[in-house]
Amino acid sequence: MYEFRFHGRGGQGGRMAAEALALAAFLEGKYAVSFPFFGAERRGAPVRAFTRIDDKKIRTKTQIYEPDAVIVLDESLLETEDVLEGLKDDGVIIINTQRKPEEIELSREVRCATVDATSIALDVLGKAITNTAILGAIAKATGEVGIDSIEKAIIEKFGARLGKEAGEKNAKAARVAYESTVVGKSKGGKQFEPKPQWLPTVDELPLGGSIGTMETYAGLVGIGSFIENKTGGWRVFMPVVNDDKCIGCKICWFYCPEAAIKMVDKGAKTKKAVINYDYCKGCGICANECPTKAISMEREVKA
Amino acid sequence: MNLNDLPEDEYFTSGHTACPGCVAPIIVRNMMKILGKNTVVYTPANCLLVFGGTYPYIAWKVPYFHEAFENTGSSISGAARAFKKKRKDVTVVGIAGDGGTYDIGIQALSGAAERNEDVIYVCYDNEAYMNTGIQRSGSTPYGASTTTTPPGKKIPGKLEHKKDMAEIMRAHEVPYVATMSVSHIADFLRKVEKAKKIKGFRYLHVFSPCPTGWRFDPSKSIEIARKAVDSGMWTLYEAEYGEIMDIYKPKKKIPVEEYIKGQGRFRHFTPEMIEELQKWVDKKWERLYGEKP
Repeated sequence: MYEFRFHGRGGQGGRMAAEALALAAFLEGKYAVSFPFFGAERRGAPVRAFTRIDDKKIRTKTQIYEPDAVIVLDESLLETEDVLEGLKDDGVIIINTQRKPEEIELSREVRCATVDATSIALDVLGKAITNTAILGAIAKATGEVGIDSIEKAIIEKFGARLGKEAGEKNAKAARVAYESTVVGKSKGGKQFEPKPQWLPTVDELPLGGSIGTMETYAGLVGIGSFIENKTGGWRVFMPVVNDDKCIGCKICWFYCPEAAIKMVDKGAKTKKAVINYDYCKGCGICANECPTKAISMEREVKA
Repeated sequence: MNLNDLPEDEYFTSGHTACPGCVAPIIVRNMMKILGKNTVVYTPANCLLVFGGTYPYIAWKVPYFHEAFENTGSSISGAARAFKKKRKDVTVVGIAGDGGTYDIGIQALSGAAERNEDVIYVCYDNEAYMNTGIQRSGSTPYGASTTTTPPGKKIPGKLEHKKDMAEIMRAHEVPYVATMSVSHIADFLRKVEKAKKIKGFRYLHVFSPCPTGWRFDPSKSIEIARKAVDSGMWTLYEAEYGEIMDIYKPKKKIPVEEYIKGQGRFRHFTPEMIEELQKWVDKKWERLYGEKP
C-alpha cells in the first residue's frame, strides 16, 4: 500500500487533488480511496486530505498517520507544524515552493521534491489554485502514478465540473509541473515546539464556561484573544501602498476585513495607510477600492 | 458621523478566521466602533460565530454569547430586560445571518419586534446558508445556484424569488428599520449611529456579498455590493414606525445583467432567466419608489 497525505489550506483544492490522484490510480487498474479532514474552518485555514493506493482491496479507513509521501500545497505551513510527522524513512515530501530542495529546512533529512506550483498555476490557469500542478510533481517524485493517467484523471474530474477547456488547462499545468519538478534532499534539524492546548479542569473554569481575557500556558484565551492568531500566511498576493499616491482618505481602513490597515502620520500633509502583514489575508479589497489606485497587489515571494 | 470621526478602537480584532474578502467582518468591526464598548453581542449559528470565536479564542472585545439558532430574538429580549432591571445602560445587539433571520429565527424575531424590546437586531444577509456549505435560504435570489438548488437541465437553480424580510419587519411598525450596504459608507455609518440613539426595537439589514458562496474574486466584494444597490437588487431605505422616511435612489439604474456578471452562482443564466429577475427588480422598484423604473 502507498499512502499520501496532503497539507493545504481551504480553497487551494487539496481535497480535489487527493481525489484526482485516487482516480488516476484507479485508471491504471489499482484500488484507491481518498478523503479530506477538516474542522469548522473557512477558506484559508489548514486542511488535510488523504489518498491510499494499493493493488488489492483497501480495508483501512483511518486517517493516515505514517504516510509514504507528504504533499505540502502551501509553503507557510512548513513554519507552523511538523509536516514530516510520521513520514516513513524512505518517504518523500513534495513542496510547492520557489526554493530548491537543499534550501529547505525540515525536522529531519528526507527525500524532497520541490515545484513552483503557484507560478505555474498563475501562468497556465491565471489563478493561484495549485492542486492540479502539484499532481504533476507527485507523478515525478513518487512514480506511483504515471503522468499520463494523472492528465486523464484531471480532464475527467475537473472537466466534468468546470468545463472541457478548464480541464485541459489543468492537465497542462500538471504536465508543466511534472517537467519542472526538482528532486533532492532537504536539510534537517528544525525544531518544532507543539503549541500546547488549553485544557482547564472543571475547577479552573468559571461558572458557565464564560471567560474574560486570560493569560494561560497556551497563550491568551478569552475576549480579544484571536489577536494571537496570525493569518498573514494565507496570502498569495500582498498589497503594497504607494505613499506618493495615498491621499489618506481612510477608505481602505474602513474596508479591511482583517483590521490590518492603520492610518499613520508619516509627517506628510495627510496620514498614510500602513498594512500589517501579520494579519493581511491578501483579499485585495483595498487595492480594488482605493480611489487613487495607490495600493497594488504584488506576488509575494516567501523567504 | 463621517469616516474621519470613526474611532480607531477595534472591538472585533484581527486574527479571526473569515475567508479572505468576507464582508461580515467589515460590517461588524465598523458597526462596533460606533456602538462602542458598552455593548453585549449575541449570535446564533452562522459564519460570524465560527470565525469570530472558536472557544477559547475570541475575536470580540465585548461580552459575547452564543445561543441557539432559532432564539436570537428571545435571547436579546431577556438580556435587555435584565439590564433594564439592573438599571444599566447597555446596548444589546443580536447579529444573525440570513438563515437565522429569514427562516429559523423569524418567530423569536417577530415576537421581540411585536413586544418592542429595547434591542438592536442585525441581519447580515449573504443569501444562503454559507456556514454549512452554501444551502438555499429564504433569502437566496431567483435562479442562484446553491448546493441544494443546483442548476440542471430541467430546474435552473432556485425557482423562488427572494423574500423581502425588511418589508416584513417594517410591517411590525417598530421604531426603526434600515437596510444598509457597506458600499455606501456615509449611509451605513449614519444608520448605525441613528439606530444607537433610538429606544425600542431596531432592525438593521446589511447586504453582505460572499466570495466563497457566490463564487467571485474576493477583491470584488464591495464592487458587487455597490452593483446590487445600483441595479435595484438591493434597496437602501430607512423606516420609522412603519413609514419609509428616507430612500436612496441610484443616480443611474443599471440592468441586473451587469450585477450578475462575474458571479459564479448566476453563470448558468439564460436571457429568459435574466428577464425574469429583471421583472422582479422592476416590480420591487415600482412598489418602493412609487414610479416606473
